[in-house]
Amino acid sequence: MIEELVLSLVEGIRKVVAERLEELDGVVALRRSSEGVAPHVFRKGDDLSELEIAPRYPLMTVVSKLHKTFPDIRLGIVARGCDERAFIEMAKRDQIDPDRLFIIGFACTEEEAQECHCSAPAPQNLLVGTAPPPGPPNPVVEKYDEMTIDERRAFWQRQFVKCLKCYGCRNICPECFCEACAMEDAAWVEPGLLAPPFPVFHLIRAMHMASRCVACRQCELVCPAHIPLTVLYDLMRRDMETLLGYVPGTDMDAPPPLSVTLEEAPLRVAVEA
Amino acid sequence: MGVEFEPRIVAFMCNWCTYAGADNAGIARMESPANVLPIRVMCSGRVSPEMVLRAFRAGADGVLVMGCHIGDCHYSSGNHRTIKRVPLLRNLLGYAGINPDRLRLAWVSAAEAPRFVKVTKEFTETVRELGPLSQEVAHQEVRE
Repeated sequence: MIEELVLSLVEGIRKVVAERLEELDGVVALRRSSEGVAPHVFRKGDDLSELEIAPRYPLMTVVSKLHKTFPDIRLGIVARGCDERAFIEMAKRDQIDPDRLFIIGFACTEEEAQECHCSAPAPQNLLVGTAPPPGPPNPVVEKYDEMTIDERRAFWQRQFVKCLKCYGCRNICPECFCEACAMEDAAWVEPGLLAPPFPVFHLIRAMHMASRCVACRQCELVCPAHIPLTVLYDLMRRDMETLLGYVPGTDMDAPPPLSVTLEEAPLRVAVEA
Repeated sequence: MGVEFEPRIVAFMCNWCTYAGADNAGIARMESPANVLPIRVMCSGRVSPEMVLRAFRAGADGVLVMGCHIGDCHYSSGNHRTIKRVPLLRNLLGYAGINPDRLRLAWVSAAEAPRFVKVTKEFTETVRELGPLSQEVAHQEVRE
């Protein structure tokens, strides 16, 4: 039943991609070859039976590189809800040209939405599939406020001590585009330590993600140490909404609130200073 | 035992308001806590989360971020970033198990030398109550 659903979804996507390739220079999507599944730019005439949607992989950093390397190229992209949210945040930070990218949006399955605790499991530009109901919130995040500061510290120390400093969370992130990364700068994170030093390493990343994290959960999925990073990022997303009314990836016209003035993005809560 | 805990406090002060306020406090011979290590920055908006976290990592028990009042920023809106960033960072510290009261944002103008003294005294006492950060954050060993 689920396999059939996914199959018809992929068939639907292949059809839309074929149509769009008539006018676009290429469509970014995943492609299955004898070596596995990897990002690929499908061109007109390519074998679209090789197009896949699993396993999930963020493609917006690929689009960003293509847009920067080829300033005239007009692309399409096969995108889930989280991919589209990533696109919105990248576009408003000048990493992707929205006029040169067409979103071929498809809906995640109900199972995927549940697994990801996803609140928006379909893109705004939904062309294939039907939006499933949102997944339930992460139970750890739901109960987090009840934890004492000692319990929180104990929780994260057990987690962070497992970190291998592989930078997988950053490398997979569809929103990480800085050429020089603060997490690799010896001024902030002294080199040679395993696990990486607390609080700098993980909290620098959590702060940098605060206005950008689109809750795609890729960082958590790739983490070889199974650190539940999205607990921290979900809490920061919640605070961004409370403090600044900002939900990353929803509104192309809302400026990144931490980079602009109070007139452009006012505080919703009084701050003592 | 017997040696009382003296908190180490890093205070980032903007060049145009707070640093001048601190200077005026000194000129007026007002007494302010010697626990405070001033770091002059051109604007409180320059104080990145990296700088605050690195200060904690380097042994600060508390961090103050101080600058011009909203509306008085030398760069018009530099401190608009600060007032959004610091509350988020305070919350993040709390989520990770560091008491958020170890980080404080305070506006102090060049004309507010008494306020500079008041804020630094208050904050030193707050952090003294909280105790050394090393109690909260065990410095991690290098894994062989």
